[in-house]
Amino acid sequence: MTCDSVSKLIPLYFYGELTPDEEDRVEDHLHECRECTDALSRQRALAAALDQRQVDVPPLLLEDCRMDLMAAIQGGAPRSESASKGPWTLFLEAIGATFAGFHRLQRPVGAVALIALGFAAARFTSTNPTLGTADSGTSNADVFATVRSVRPDNAGHVQIAFDETRRRTISGSMEDQNIQQLLLSGARDQDASVRVESVGVLKDRCAGSGEVKNELLDRVVNDPNVGVRLEALKGLKPLLGDAAVRKTLLQVLHSDDNPAMRKEVVDLIVTQRDDSMVSVLQNLYQREDNNYVRLKLEKALKEMNASIGTF
Amino acid sequence: MAQDASGAVGARLSPQVDSLIRAAQRGDQDAFEQLVRTYDQTVLRLAMNLLRSPEDARDVYQEAFLRVYRNLHSFRFDCSFQTWLYRIVTNICLDQLRKRKVRKEESSVVETSDGAIDRMEGFEEDAAEADPERSMWNRQLKDRIEDALRDLTPRERMVFELRHYQGLRLRNIGEMLGTTEEAAKNCLFRATQKMRSVLGDFV
Repeated sequence: MTCDSVSKLIPLYFYGELTPDEEDRVEDHLHECRECTDALSRQRALAAALDQRQVDVPPLLLEDCRMDLMAAIQGGAPRSESASKGPWTLFLEAIGATFAGFHRLQRPVGAVALIALGFAAARFTSTNPTLGTADSGTSNADVFATVRSVRPDNAGHVQIAFDETRRRTISGSMEDQNIQQLLLSGARDQDASVRVESVGVLKDRCAGSGEVKNELLDRVVNDPNVGVRLEALKGLKPLLGDAAVRKTLLQVLHSDDNPAMRKEVVDLIVTQRDDSMVSVLQNLYQREDNNYVRLKLEKALKEMNASIGTF
Repeated sequence: MAQDASGAVGARLSPQVDSLIRAAQRGDQDAFEQLVRTYDQTVLRLAMNLLRSPEDARDVYQEAFLRVYRNLHSFRFDCSFQTWLYRIVTNICLDQLRKRKVRKEESSVVETSDGAIDRMEGFEEDAAEADPERSMWNRQLKDRIEDALRDLTPRERMVFELRHYQGLRLRNIGEMLGTTEEAAKNCLFRATQKMRSVLGDFV
């Protein structure tokens, strides 16, 4: 084989798209030709560089797409304003609301204002527990301050009192109590994206802890952001045998205004096949105004060999 | 790497997928939902990677699966479901890419839950902390990659995307795009050549 013919086959060789015979001939040539071996290395480098630009699908976008699709397929009555927004949209709105609040905070209000020292942005940070034995990583010079009082004097000076918060980065194992405490603190942060991440990690790695379970139960009911609630709900899946968890799920079914949440809860309840839930589900079916969730409830009752109504 | 539900790339139907399709064809909504969930993550990733906008990717998702829903009765099991589905998805994506080619607008910025971010940002941030020079190099590399991808025709872009990122075989890609394996090979070769020439010294 000539260098010219091999160079044309290198991309196909790299992607494993040659016949075994062609592959053998290319390899024979590569053993003897430095130039073509370099060309193969460049192909590998190109592929490695391109690997870096792949984007991950945000899970909430996927959930949103599924909800929209199923709603379109049901073709039922138009959903109400709040129901027509999927988790992705609501999540974006919540993030927007977070930052809208942030902008308000940036304006000096009375004697309380925010400043950032050595950093362009500023934000309130939640009260972090003292960091004990967690492996301390790099700490940097980002310092955030909350101004508590401003007192100008007649000499043209101003006296400012502020609380200072220093940003630190730590890393440690999930078993580390300090790490867990930070994650629990993150689960209640003002920033919804921090809450989603924290709850996501807690549910995956620390769900066995009673404190984490309580936090997940709290988030699934009380978090204003549906993305956080969905994450917390996923974390409760292995704990369905627990009476407190089942009680909370029913609360969600009764009171969560987001159909994606209610639909997820119905799916979870079905996996349990708990006959004591039948009457509750029947009642919920009568109240439910979302076609898709009603369909889910109907199927759940059918699987439990129950009628959809109470008589 | 995209796999059919049987676990093999571009494989024929697995018994589970087969029975889901048959149930969905009989009008079982639950089966249809499960069928969607088997493939939709890969479909959304393909659309996001090609179109780089969650809103456009969402439109592709919706249109593709609605077409599947409306036309599932005509699926005759003479090719894998994945091939059939991807024919629909790639057609919709190609239309979008062609429209963009006309408008010549494509941004490297992706809207995410955290607002607009650059898809290479994570890659750069890691390097930025360690080595500012490397960070600058990465930034330039990223720009060149975007230029290189913009230079591809929609069809070359699609073949490259399906082979490189989705891990599909060129034979299946040819089948999905209504062309031959040979034509898909030529497309991949041209795409690689163009990218190499644009990326020049970087790789």
